[in-house]
Amino acid sequence: MPDRARLVVGVDIGNSTTEACLAAVAPDRTVSYLGTDLTRTTGVKGTPDNTDGVLTAVRGALRRAGRAAAELDAVLLNEATPVISGLAMETITETIITESTMIGHNPATPGGQGLGVGTTVSLTELDEIDPGPPVVCVVPHGWDFEDIASTVNAAVGRGVDVVAAVLAGDDAVLVANRLTRPVPVVDEVAAVEKVPLGMLAAVEVAAAGYTIRTLSNTYGLATVFGLDPDQTRHVSPVARALTGNRSAVVVRTPSGDVTDRRIPVGTLELRGSGKTLRVDLATGAEEIMDAVARAQPLEDAHGEPGTHVGGMLAQVRDTMADVVGQDGEEAGSPVEIAINDVLAVDTFVPAEVRGGLAGEMHLENAVALAAMVSTSRSRMRSVAERVAEELGVATLIGGVEGKMAVRGALTTPGVDRPVAVLDLGGGSTDAAELDREGRDTAVHVAGAGELVTKLIDSELALDDREVAENIKRSPLAKVESFFHVRHEDGTVQFFDEPLPSHVFARVVTLAPEGPTPIPTRHGLDHVRQIRREAKRRVFVVNAVRALRQVAAGGNLRTLDFVVLLGGSALDFEIPEMIADALAGYGIVCGTGNVLGTEGPRNAVASGLVAAHAAAAP
Amino acid sequence: MGTPTTSPAPERTVRLRELGPARRGSRPDEVVIAVSPAFADFFTKTIVDVPHAEVLRQLLAGIEEQGVTARIVRVRDTADLAAIAHTAAQLSGSGIAVGVLARGTTMIHQKDLPRLSNLELFPQSPLLDAQVFRRIGSNAAQYAKGESPEPVPTRNDQMARPRWQAKAALLHLKEVECIEAGRDPVEVEPAFELSRAG
Repeated sequence: MPDRARLVVGVDIGNSTTEACLAAVAPDRTVSYLGTDLTRTTGVKGTPDNTDGVLTAVRGALRRAGRAAAELDAVLLNEATPVISGLAMETITETIITESTMIGHNPATPGGQGLGVGTTVSLTELDEIDPGPPVVCVVPHGWDFEDIASTVNAAVGRGVDVVAAVLAGDDAVLVANRLTRPVPVVDEVAAVEKVPLGMLAAVEVAAAGYTIRTLSNTYGLATVFGLDPDQTRHVSPVARALTGNRSAVVVRTPSGDVTDRRIPVGTLELRGSGKTLRVDLATGAEEIMDAVARAQPLEDAHGEPGTHVGGMLAQVRDTMADVVGQDGEEAGSPVEIAINDVLAVDTFVPAEVRGGLAGEMHLENAVALAAMVSTSRSRMRSVAERVAEELGVATLIGGVEGKMAVRGALTTPGVDRPVAVLDLGGGSTDAAELDREGRDTAVHVAGAGELVTKLIDSELALDDREVAENIKRSPLAKVESFFHVRHEDGTVQFFDEPLPSHVFARVVTLAPEGPTPIPTRHGLDHVRQIRREAKRRVFVVNAVRALRQVAAGGNLRTLDFVVLLGGSALDFEIPEMIADALAGYGIVCGTGNVLGTEGPRNAVASGLVAAHAAAAP
Repeated sequence: MGTPTTSPAPERTVRLRELGPARRGSRPDEVVIAVSPAFADFFTKTIVDVPHAEVLRQLLAGIEEQGVTARIVRVRDTADLAAIAHTAAQLSGSGIAVGVLARGTTMIHQKDLPRLSNLELFPQSPLLDAQVFRRIGSNAAQYAKGESPEPVPTRNDQMARPRWQAKAALLHLKEVECIEAGRDPVEVEPAFELSRAG
């Protein structure tokens, strides 16, 4: 037994950060923690590129504790379970309009109000037609609002029954304000020339603050166009698509149709617990997750070759092969790469409607998949060799990450065995449990922070990962004047200095660096709801899923303490969402505070030191 | 979008009739449009011959389409766009104003901003046409309603500066000559007329 305290440093290489924990282990195995450090992970986790990050973290911890590298006795590395996750999103529905209707077109400022049903007539022909049945006036591009109004007024003066108007430009209110007889006016129909003329059409505009009633009701449409039951069945998708709009135009043409087509995206083949299950991706997340649950423990998953799913899973596999293979020393037998978990989430993607007349957008259903791969091999050994070489210190590869994390989590004040940890990371959500007898189990499930960012990005049609990341990280506010903002909880905050002009009137994220505007037309409530839903569908679902796998008998009630760790445990709302979801099972759940000072960080690094001390000779 | 008149040109002209000293508005749903000393007076067109009548008509239309009201004032003691727009923002019930110079340069301002700042600035007057003025009016009205409009895309033409700089400078000199120092802004009423002249 050594007669002096040994100086060791535990290092945890994570997907995004590398953390170090420096401690002195006394001969009687008591551990005194001296300092910690945190830096960005260099390279993909589990590859030799990590060495630089490890060195930075170790030196940082030494510097903080005022020790020199020469004093170190050992560097402890985690057995980084090489877990990488891949993400893919596939649209599974497509809305196609043939000819006739405008769905999802919801101009900000329609004019007039009410319902007008009549035959479509171009404005250029309006002064030639005779008084008779009602007409809907269709105005091509290039007309000035005053000319439109005077032409319509002249026709009405002659006795022509103009009951509604459809415009190309953004002129509806202007035209409606100038009509002698007010009628509903829908504008911003970009492809107005495609509106068929001489057909029966209905135009409806609701009062401000209301949504349309007649055209969004299947029987309303049936009444307006005099449809028989069979035809009524046919127009039901039209009515559905118009729900929630303030204005709508429906033209009845012989072959007009709206179809809601399912796009074949392929089937997912899940192998596990002695069976092989096939599930069609187009059936949605619920069916897929059901199949995943039945195939537990999942051994591998394959996508149908030549389909979107196939391509996506192949890509995940390729990236993983890169991480574990192609290293001379470790080559030899072909690397066994298996997909161990899949998380499917239902989402929607705003897409332009095919055949639309006004560049309409429609929310199409989509499925987002996160797949997780782990292998039997990691290249941690080469990282360890390089670290040993650089520092001239023995470098040991310690225990499995999850199991180390539990030991680190136990240093949180108020926690006792049996304890489970949930490590909410970027790529995967990991759970581990340590029971009273000291037995431990650990699992990784696919889907975490990255997937949340992706969902926010696509559901808000931001196409900007940076902005989506900001939305995920910080609460929202609306800048109501240069001197005050209204937070998402409704409270108002005043400022002494005027806010920068680029945030004026915008929905912003309140990052510590200052407010950042979100480039979206959606209101604050909508953005907030999408953010919370994305987090719930990924983290709450995964928390329950992962804990079930580590809890004895899959029963969550056997767990007493759950400690949340990892970067996402620092989030302002995820911990409470998970705590709410677990409260029903009588579980004490909260964000960890490793060593009583480190918060949810550094659990694995501290755990490595603790495990090393316990096992020390 | 804006809609240029198709028919060969019953050109619209505008005269601005003075109503009296411009007062501070109290309606929260108004946008004030402020024009420079020579706008629709010594000059009748912008640097690229967009009639001032059309500029005003499109700004007013953009505001009306959003269901917001507009007032027009003429600022007479300066030809500096920031000063004109900022003065008007102080007079606006919503705190939002659009300032426009005779040559067409335009700015959306807000009363709490420093004078030399702005919400949206359209510095290259030769690139502003009827459509852009419509969208400027529309955006100003949306700011007044507390909405978050997407800024009107500002066009940029590298050649605009060398090509138009001399003319812009001359127009500016002329505008400066029209300044009546020490006179307060006046409220004006537009009278549009159709002249068949073309």
